[in-house]
Amino acid sequence: MAKRVAFTQLSSCWGCDQSLVDLHLGLLDVIPELEIVYWPAVVDYKLKDLENLSDQSIEFGFVEGSCRTKEDEHLLKVMRKKSQTLIAWGSCSCYGGVQGLGNQWSIDELMERKFKTADTVTNGRIPEENMPGFTDHVKANTEIVPFELRIPGCPPTPENTLEGLTALLQGKEYKLPNKTVCDECPKEREHKTITEFHRTHEGKIDPDRCLLDQGYLCLGFATISLCGAQCPKVNTPCKGCFGPPPGVIDHGAKIISALGSVVDMDAEELREHFPDTIGSFYFTDYASSYLSKITSRKNKEES
Amino acid sequence: MTDERTIRIEPVTRLEGHGELTIKLGKGGKVKDVQFNISSTRFFEKFLEGRLAEEVPRIAERICGICPVPHLLASVKAVEAAWDVNPPSAAEKVRRLFLNAKQLSSHGLHFFALAAPDFLAGPFADPSQRNVVNIIKSLPDVGKLALQVMEYGQDLVSAIGGKSIHPVTATPGGMLNPFSEEHRDNFLERMEDLKEWTTDTVELAKKVVDDYWDVIENFAVVPTYYLGMHYRGNYEIYDGRLRVMNPEGEIVENFPAKRYRKYYGEHVPDHSYATHIYYKPAGYPEGVWRANSLARINVADKMPTPLAQEALEELREKLGRPTHATFAYHWARVIEMIQAVEEMEKLLTDPEIVSTDVKLSDVEPKKGNGVGVVEAPRGTLLHHYWTDEKGIVTKTNLVVATNNNIGGIEKSLMKAAKQVFENKEHENLNLPDPMIK
Repeated sequence: MAKRVAFTQLSSCWGCDQSLVDLHLGLLDVIPELEIVYWPAVVDYKLKDLENLSDQSIEFGFVEGSCRTKEDEHLLKVMRKKSQTLIAWGSCSCYGGVQGLGNQWSIDELMERKFKTADTVTNGRIPEENMPGFTDHVKANTEIVPFELRIPGCPPTPENTLEGLTALLQGKEYKLPNKTVCDECPKEREHKTITEFHRTHEGKIDPDRCLLDQGYLCLGFATISLCGAQCPKVNTPCKGCFGPPPGVIDHGAKIISALGSVVDMDAEELREHFPDTIGSFYFTDYASSYLSKITSRKNKEES
Repeated sequence: MTDERTIRIEPVTRLEGHGELTIKLGKGGKVKDVQFNISSTRFFEKFLEGRLAEEVPRIAERICGICPVPHLLASVKAVEAAWDVNPPSAAEKVRRLFLNAKQLSSHGLHFFALAAPDFLAGPFADPSQRNVVNIIKSLPDVGKLALQVMEYGQDLVSAIGGKSIHPVTATPGGMLNPFSEEHRDNFLERMEDLKEWTTDTVELAKKVVDDYWDVIENFAVVPTYYLGMHYRGNYEIYDGRLRVMNPEGEIVENFPAKRYRKYYGEHVPDHSYATHIYYKPAGYPEGVWRANSLARINVADKMPTPLAQEALEELREKLGRPTHATFAYHWARVIEMIQAVEEMEKLLTDPEIVSTDVKLSDVEPKKGNGVGVVEAPRGTLLHHYWTDEKGIVTKTNLVVATNNNIGGIEKSLMKAAKQVFENKEHENLNLPDPMIK
């Protein structure tokens, strides 16, 4: 019998949705197994329909995106109540996502720039009528309500989502792999000591050699392997968008400490190479870092 | 007893993003106000500040998971403009192939998954039936067609960019990875199938146009300004000047993107987090313009490839230039799909497409500012960055594709609401028997 599923988008880019659609002909096998009870991107059910479902009547509830608005928080709580198994789908849901970088500023500063001081704005104001209002800062959804499952990735690959969904449909356990991107990367790694870093646009990358060995900041060594090393395979450094391997709580802190063992530089030199430590080391997971929590607390106290 | 009421549609479904609709009705069903409430935004404008500019394209493309390629390219072009960098010609060709592949898959997704359910199941079908999942179940041939068209485009995006969603290879100065001969051969081999699917899609679209002619010609038709790219009058999506057309169909502006601030106004409504972009010299709301497929085919004199040009002539014969028929967006989108396929074939057969000379190795950051513009599936997309001498972003301005359309969408909704609530015109529309019953 088909399982009752819901897919919900909080503030996000909808790439997780697109990733599911990217199963393409593979969808033909999956669709008959699912009874879709809510999926605004595809199906015309309204919020009221979701709110009117009995509690725990959704068997698998997928949540994409993070809570940037109060409407997102409401939707997340409704999904929790209605779902038996709630799945944090994608890096926004698992870690806060790229919009977590906004936590470097207060919500007032963010609104000011977008709605009042942008170069083309002709009548600055903060929209209010029928608007939900924003959250003070972005958090991982898993810090707001409990989840049964996490499938990280920005976005998860179609295969990642299919694997999770198949495990759920067959009642099997789904476990995140305890491996890193380097384990799946075909490039040759010599574990060189790095004395100088290059920025991505600099020089010419040797396609056969490890990017980190060549002095490009490739974060594969500290990032969970679910993606199949997609970026290094096309000569592009990993930015860590799938987050850390299981057990690591603070991705950036892990990266910085691990770099310490391969880099022959003092702290000052390292800082010079990476003037934007937050953007470089916490791409999609700044919101779950200790640093972000401290900044958010400070912003709150000041306001 | 009063018949004043407010209708809320929450959320608007089959939409990429978060939107709600509010319709306020006064006495006698008079439409007092229509609001398209876009209820989320994530503040990229601010949090791109302080980043290394060459990393910004990979952050900024996360604005949209459906159209990351245009964001990646507009962003890279903005950095290149700020640093005075001109990538090798082979890199430009690969980027054009990249952008057209995305145009194809996005238009496929839009036509089949977002729009077609209204036409194939009919606008009055039960909400549970009006979706692409039902199309796949009830019209398996159409479903398969949809999936194959999208798959070709997404696979090609992935072959060039490493991933189909949030691809990574474009960097200031070119592409980090060349397009391989192996990939080129594979996509050329599949080209015959793609052309056949495109023909089938066009046939289906023509049937929809014929069946819903009454709706296209008479429903939600609103005159607005139009914004779109062109190259010497030809339709163009990667690099060209911008044209503004007025509601009478005259080209009133023709400018390089870097001068956009003279022409672009951004109105902040009280009821939407997405701003309304408009033609500044005409003021708001008079200057509300629309972008996207219909705008592009309105502002272009002609399509650069033969079959697309033929399709454009057919549309113009029936609807004229400009056409303000909102429902003709779907038709324009199909013309653009033909264009994308023809251009992809041209690029795939160009020997330079597999050149390994796709990246400069001496790109240097500098203090400056640059504007990058491409046509995204939903319209003209503009990124503007300021960088310091180390190449760190100090300020940004982003005018994303969809925002060019929000004011126009609201105008269309107002017109449609009046037609429905004041005149009950929807009851007299000549509608076909739905293909899905």
